[in-house]
Amino acid sequence: MFAKLKKKLAEEGAAAPRSGRIPRSMSKESITSVGADSGDDFASDGSSSRDDASSQIQRRNDQIRKLEAKLSDYAEQLRLMQKTKEKLEIALEKYQDSSMRKLQDQNEVFQSNRAKMAEGMALALEKKDQEWMEKLASLEQEKLSLTARLDEMTEQSLTLFQKRDDLDELEGFQQQELAKVKHMLLKREEQLSHREKELRLRGEELNTARLTLSQTQDKLYELGEEHEEMCRSNSQLQTQRDELLSERAEAERRVVDLERREQELQQLIQQVSQDFQKAQSNANAHEKAMEHLQSEHNKLKLQHEQHKNKVAVTEEERERLLADLQEKAASLERRLEANYSQDEHLQDLLKEKSALEQRLEEARGQLLETRTNHTTAVSSLEAQISRQKASITDLQTLVKHKDDSSRAYKERTDEQISELEQRLADCAEKMKSLQQQLEDSETHTEKLQVEWSEERERLQQQVSTQRQRGLEKTARLEEELLALQRERETEVNKHQDNLRLLEEEKASLLKSKAEIDSTVERLTAELDQCRADLSSRQTVSVEIAKALEETRKQREELQQQVSKMTESLEKAEQEVCRLSQDLGAKEEELNALKEELKAARSSLSSLQAECESRRSEAEEREREHTSQLTSLQQEVLTQTQQLSSYQSQVSDLEGEVLRLTAQSHADECDGELNGTVTASDLDQLQMVNKDLEQQLAEKNKTIKQLQQRLAELKRTLQKELKLKPDPDSEMRERLQERSADKMLSETQMPTTAPTLAPGLPQTPGLPPITSNTTVTNSSDLTDTREINFEYLKHVVLKFMSSREAEAFQLIRAVSVLLHFTKDEEDMLKQTLEYKMSWFGSKPTPKGIIRRSISGTSSLS
Amino acid sequence: MGGFFSSLFSGLFGTREMRILILGLDGAGKTTILYRLQVGEVVTTIPTIGFNVETVTYKNLKFQVWDLGGQTSIRPYWRCYYSNTDAVIYVVDSSDRDRMGISKSELVAMLEEEELKKAILVVFANKQDMEQAMTPTEVANSLGLPALKDRKWQIFKTSATKGTGLDEAMEWLVDSLKSRQ
Repeated sequence: MFAKLKKKLAEEGAAAPRSGRIPRSMSKESITSVGADSGDDFASDGSSSRDDASSQIQRRNDQIRKLEAKLSDYAEQLRLMQKTKEKLEIALEKYQDSSMRKLQDQNEVFQSNRAKMAEGMALALEKKDQEWMEKLASLEQEKLSLTARLDEMTEQSLTLFQKRDDLDELEGFQQQELAKVKHMLLKREEQLSHREKELRLRGEELNTARLTLSQTQDKLYELGEEHEEMCRSNSQLQTQRDELLSERAEAERRVVDLERREQELQQLIQQVSQDFQKAQSNANAHEKAMEHLQSEHNKLKLQHEQHKNKVAVTEEERERLLADLQEKAASLERRLEANYSQDEHLQDLLKEKSALEQRLEEARGQLLETRTNHTTAVSSLEAQISRQKASITDLQTLVKHKDDSSRAYKERTDEQISELEQRLADCAEKMKSLQQQLEDSETHTEKLQVEWSEERERLQQQVSTQRQRGLEKTARLEEELLALQRERETEVNKHQDNLRLLEEEKASLLKSKAEIDSTVERLTAELDQCRADLSSRQTVSVEIAKALEETRKQREELQQQVSKMTESLEKAEQEVCRLSQDLGAKEEELNALKEELKAARSSLSSLQAECESRRSEAEEREREHTSQLTSLQQEVLTQTQQLSSYQSQVSDLEGEVLRLTAQSHADECDGELNGTVTASDLDQLQMVNKDLEQQLAEKNKTIKQLQQRLAELKRTLQKELKLKPDPDSEMRERLQERSADKMLSETQMPTTAPTLAPGLPQTPGLPPITSNTTVTNSSDLTDTREINFEYLKHVVLKFMSSREAEAFQLIRAVSVLLHFTKDEEDMLKQTLEYKMSWFGSKPTPKGIIRRSISGTSSLS
Repeated sequence: MGGFFSSLFSGLFGTREMRILILGLDGAGKTTILYRLQVGEVVTTIPTIGFNVETVTYKNLKFQVWDLGGQTSIRPYWRCYYSNTDAVIYVVDSSDRDRMGISKSELVAMLEEEELKKAILVVFANKQDMEQAMTPTEVANSLGLPALKDRKWQIFKTSATKGTGLDEAMEWLVDSLKSRQ
C-alpha cells in the first residue's frame, strides 16, 4: 500500500524539492542549513552589534553549536543503535526459523515411523485371532442348530405320513357319499323333467283355449261394430227426424202467424163494415133528410100552386072585376056620352069612372103588392127550394161521393177482402200444402220412424239375437272359459298341487339337497380343510421336504463346509502354525523393532534433549535478544533521558536566553542603543529554538512511527512463529502483541494531537517508550508526511473545485488540516453561505485576526 | 447561485440529498463500493489519499456519498466530515481477521461522536467472495455490534467486486431513511 502510494507520489511529485528517498541526508542538510543560516545571520548580526553582546552571543552560539553537534552525534548514535538492533533482530529471526524447522522435521519423521510400525503389527495379529475364533464359534452354533432341526424334521415327517393315511380314508368316504348324492340328484332331475313336460302340455292347452277365447272375442268385436253402425244409422235417422220436427214447428209457427194475420184482417174488415154501416146509416139519414126535404119541397110546391091558384083566382076576379069595371067604365062612358048633356050625369059618371079607375088602380096596387109579396114569397121559396135543391144536390153529390167512396171502399175492401181471401186461400193452401208437407213429412217420419223402429227392432232383434248369440257365445265361451278356467284352475290346482308336491318334493329335495349341500359343504369344507390341511401339510411337507432337502443340502454343504472348514482348519492350523512361526519371527522382529524403538526413543530423547537444548538456546537467544532489546530500549530510554536532559538544557538555555534577553532588555532599559539589536537577536534565537523544537517533534514522530513499524514487524514475526509455537513463547508473544496493540492504540490516539498543534513544543512527559524506537526505515517518516501533504492537497483541491454544498462540508477538514482558528473557520463558513444564498450581506472579514496572522507570518 | 437553485429545487420537491459516509480501514473496499453504487462497475482503484464524493441516486433518493480514505495517518480526519451525516456505511474486510480489532476500535470511536448520534449504521461485511472470509455474524460479534444501543444498525454480507449484497443493503438503508423522515 505504501509502496504504491510512494510510487504514485514519486510520479506526481518529481518536481518536489525533497525526494524523500534520502531522509537522513535531508535531515542533516536541514539541520546544517539551519545552522549555517543561523550562523550567517548571526555573523551579519554580529558585525552590526556591539562587541560585548556579540561576544556573549558568539559564546552562546558556540554553545548552541556544540549542543547541536552533540545532538547530531546523538542522532547518529541513535541511528547506529537502530541499525544494530535491526541486524540483531534479523539474525534472531533467521536462527529461530532454522532451529524450529529442524526440530519439527525430525520430530515428525520419527513419530510417524514409530506409530506406523507398532500399529501395523498389533492390528494384524489381533484381526487374525478374532477372525478364527469367530469362525469356529459360528460353525459350532450352526452344527447344533442343524442337528436340532433334523430331529424336528423327522418327527414332522412321521406325523405327516399318519395324516396322509387319514386323509386318504376321508377322501374314500367322501367319494362314496358324493356318488349317493349324485344318484339322488339324478332321480330328482328326471322327476323334474317329467313335471316340466306335463306343465308344457298344460301350457299348450291353455294357449289353445286362449286362442279360441281370442276368436270369440273377435266375433264379439265384430258384433259390437255392427251394433255401433246401427246406432250410427239410428242417430242419423233421429237427426233427420229432428230436422223434420223442426220444420213442422216452423210450419206451425207460420200457420199461427198467418191465423194471426187473418184475425187482424177480419178485424180490419169488421172495422171497415162498421165504417160502411156508419156510412149507410149516414146515407139513410141523408136520404131521410132528403125525403123530408122533398116532402117539404112538395108542400112548398103545393103551397106555391095554391098560392098560384089563389093568385090566378084573385087575378081572374080582378080581371072580371076589371072587365066588370071596364064594362061599368064602358056602360058609364056610354052613359057619360049618353048623359053628357047629361055632363053632370057624365061627370058624375066620369067621377064615378075616375073613382072606379082609382079604385081599379088601388086594386091594381093591391094586386101588385100581393103580387110582389107573392113573388118575393115565391122567390124566397124558390131560393129556399134552390137552396134546398143545392143542398139536395150537395147531398146528392155527397151521397154520390159517399156512394162512390163507399163504392170505392167497398171495392177496395172487396179487393182487400178478395186479396185477403185470396191470401187466406193461399195461406190456407200453403197451410194445406204445409200441412200436407207436414203430414207428408210426418208420414215420412212416421214411415221412417216406423222403418227405423222396424229397423231398430230388427236391429235390436238382430242385436239382441246377436247379443243373445254373443251372450250365448260369451256364455258359452265364459262357460268354456270358466270350464277352461276351472280346468285351468283345476289344472293349475293340479299343477299347483303338483307344483306344491313338486315344490314340496323340491323343498324336500332342496332340503335334502341343502342337507346334502351342507353335508357336501361340510364335506367340502372338511375336504377343503383337509385339502388345506393337506396342502398346508403338503406345503409343510414340501417345505419340510424342501427344508429337509435344504437341510440335506445345507448339511451336505455344511459337511462340505465342515470338510472345507476342517481342511481350511487344517490349513488354518497349518497357517496358524506358520503364523505362529511367523509370529515368532515377528516377535523376534518386534523385539528387534522394540529394541530399535528403544534406540529410536533414546535417540528421540536425545533429540528432545537436543531440542530442549536448542529451545533453551533459542530461549536464551530470545532472552538475549529481549535483553538486547531491553538494553536497546534502555539505551533509547537513556538517550531519551539524555534528550530530555538536553531538552532541559535547552530549556535552561532558553531560560538563560530569556534571562539574557531580560538582561538585554534591562540593558535596553539602561541603554536605548542595545534594545533593538538584542531583540532581533533574541528573535533569531527563538526562531532557532523553534526550529530545533520542530526537529525534535519530527523526530518524536519518526520514533513513534518506528515503534508502529516495530510492532508490525513483531506481529509478522509472531505470525511466523505461530506455526510452531512454544506455549511459553506464545504467551510471551501474546503479551508482546498486547503491549504492541496498546502501543498502537496509544500511538493512534495522540497522532491527532501533533497534527492539530505541531507548532507547540512536545510535552516532555509524553512518551519515553515511544522515543525508544530508533529510526530504521526513514521512508515511513516521509510517507506520513507525504500522505498528510497529499491529503491536504487533495482536500484543498476538492474544496476549490467542488460545488458549494460539498465545499461547505469540507470547510471543517480544510480548517483542521491548515490549523485554522475558530474565527477563520466561521468566516469561511459565512462566506460560503453568502455565496450559496441570494440574500444577506457579505460578511466582513475580521481584519484584526488577519493582520495578526500576517504580522506573525511576516515576522517568521 | 447554482447551489441556491439546487437547494431551492430540493426544497420545492422535498428531496433533500442524504449525506452518507463510507468509512472503514484501508483496503476494505470503500472506493470500489462507492463506484459500484454510482456507475455499477468495478473500477481499478488506488489507495484513497483524501476522499471521493459522488452523488448516487437510488430509488428516487439522492445520496451525497462520501468515501473517506481509510489509511491510518488520515483516519483522524474522518471527524471533520461527521456533521450533518444521515447514515454511515462502515466497510469491513471480512477476510482480514487480524485487523478486526483495529476496525472495531475505529468503529467504536466513531460511534461515540456526538455528531453521529442520529446516523444510521450499515456495516458491509465485504470481500465475502474470499475463501477465508468471516461470516456476517462473526463480523458483527467481533465488531461488538450486538452491544450497540440507541443505534439503528444492520449488517450485510457484500462483495463489491461481484456486486452481491449491495442492493439489499441499499434497499434497507433507503427504507430506514424513509421511515426516519
